[in-house]
Amino acid sequence: MHEFFQLPVFGVFISIIAFAGGREIRKKFNYVLLNPVLLAILFIISFLLIFKIDFEDYNRGGKFISFFLGPSVVALGVFFYEKYEAVKQNLKIFLFSVLIGGISGVLTVIVFLLLLKVPDFIVESLAAKSVTTPIAIEITKLTGGIPEITAGIVIAVGIFGNAFGPFILKKLGIKSKIAIGAALGIAAHGIGTARAFEESKLAGVYGGLAMCVNGIITALVTPYLLQLFL
Amino acid sequence: MLKALAYIFGFLLLGELITYFFKIPIAGNILGMFLIFIALRLKIVKLKDVKPASDKLIKYLVLFFIPYGVGLMVYFEVIADYWMPISIAVIASTVITLYISAIIIEKLER
Repeated sequence: MHEFFQLPVFGVFISIIAFAGGREIRKKFNYVLLNPVLLAILFIISFLLIFKIDFEDYNRGGKFISFFLGPSVVALGVFFYEKYEAVKQNLKIFLFSVLIGGISGVLTVIVFLLLLKVPDFIVESLAAKSVTTPIAIEITKLTGGIPEITAGIVIAVGIFGNAFGPFILKKLGIKSKIAIGAALGIAAHGIGTARAFEESKLAGVYGGLAMCVNGIITALVTPYLLQLFL
Repeated sequence: MLKALAYIFGFLLLGELITYFFKIPIAGNILGMFLIFIALRLKIVKLKDVKPASDKLIKYLVLFFIPYGVGLMVYFEVIADYWMPISIAVIASTVITLYISAIIIEKLER
């Protein structure tokens, strides 16, 4: 049986059905913590633990799925081209917000983690926690952190932003919908952007564009900021 | 669709090629994202030639990072040892980032 689970098709199949199942559950009960990706991950981890299957065996198939992260990041460039007309009117302000927001996202998490005396490899793994998972993974590979830790925390950050972002921002006196949209994209990437679309379509577009631009900014500054502090 | 996939993978390859030869500290796929945007802007590539593939990839983007999320199980004990400081730092940083990003647009927006 052990050899059976080493077949790549096992990892591919369980990933696809777990995700499809997660989406069905989300459709039935519209509740934010029932994030399809989170459900799929928890389901697969439970399955592997119950049947005593190693992660490495699962990942023989999983690799074929995660390979598509590379072209997906390129596809974000196409998305940006398609939508950037929408931010043209406020382009400079938008870029300024992403630049400052993006840098504070990296800077504050590094400083807080160091103040709380967390080991360096965790700081390296979490520095890029605000950007979309495929970009965050690439940044972590370059900085010497552990990509799997990055992926887990990035997804958690997205869910946090999705669940509480608009509430926190409104409590802090933010009224502009596009400000909320951009902030969700900058701080909580794609999962936060999904919530921005619920505020308004334009807010969602701002979120998606902010996520793309912050991906580039964070990729450029993270290695240098880490060098500065570690 | 085939043409669109060729463009997407072509730009990914170009990005990887540039980072490989020039040893710049940025991932090839991020460079590819930037280059395809420029190519579309300069009308070297037409939107309709890449859109079929890019729309599908973005639609299923979240599926593609599931294996990395599952990989977290290997590091479960490491995370468990530091869950308090990690939660505090990550939540505080996220709230600050949200606020700074939003307040800039709120105050300066036309």
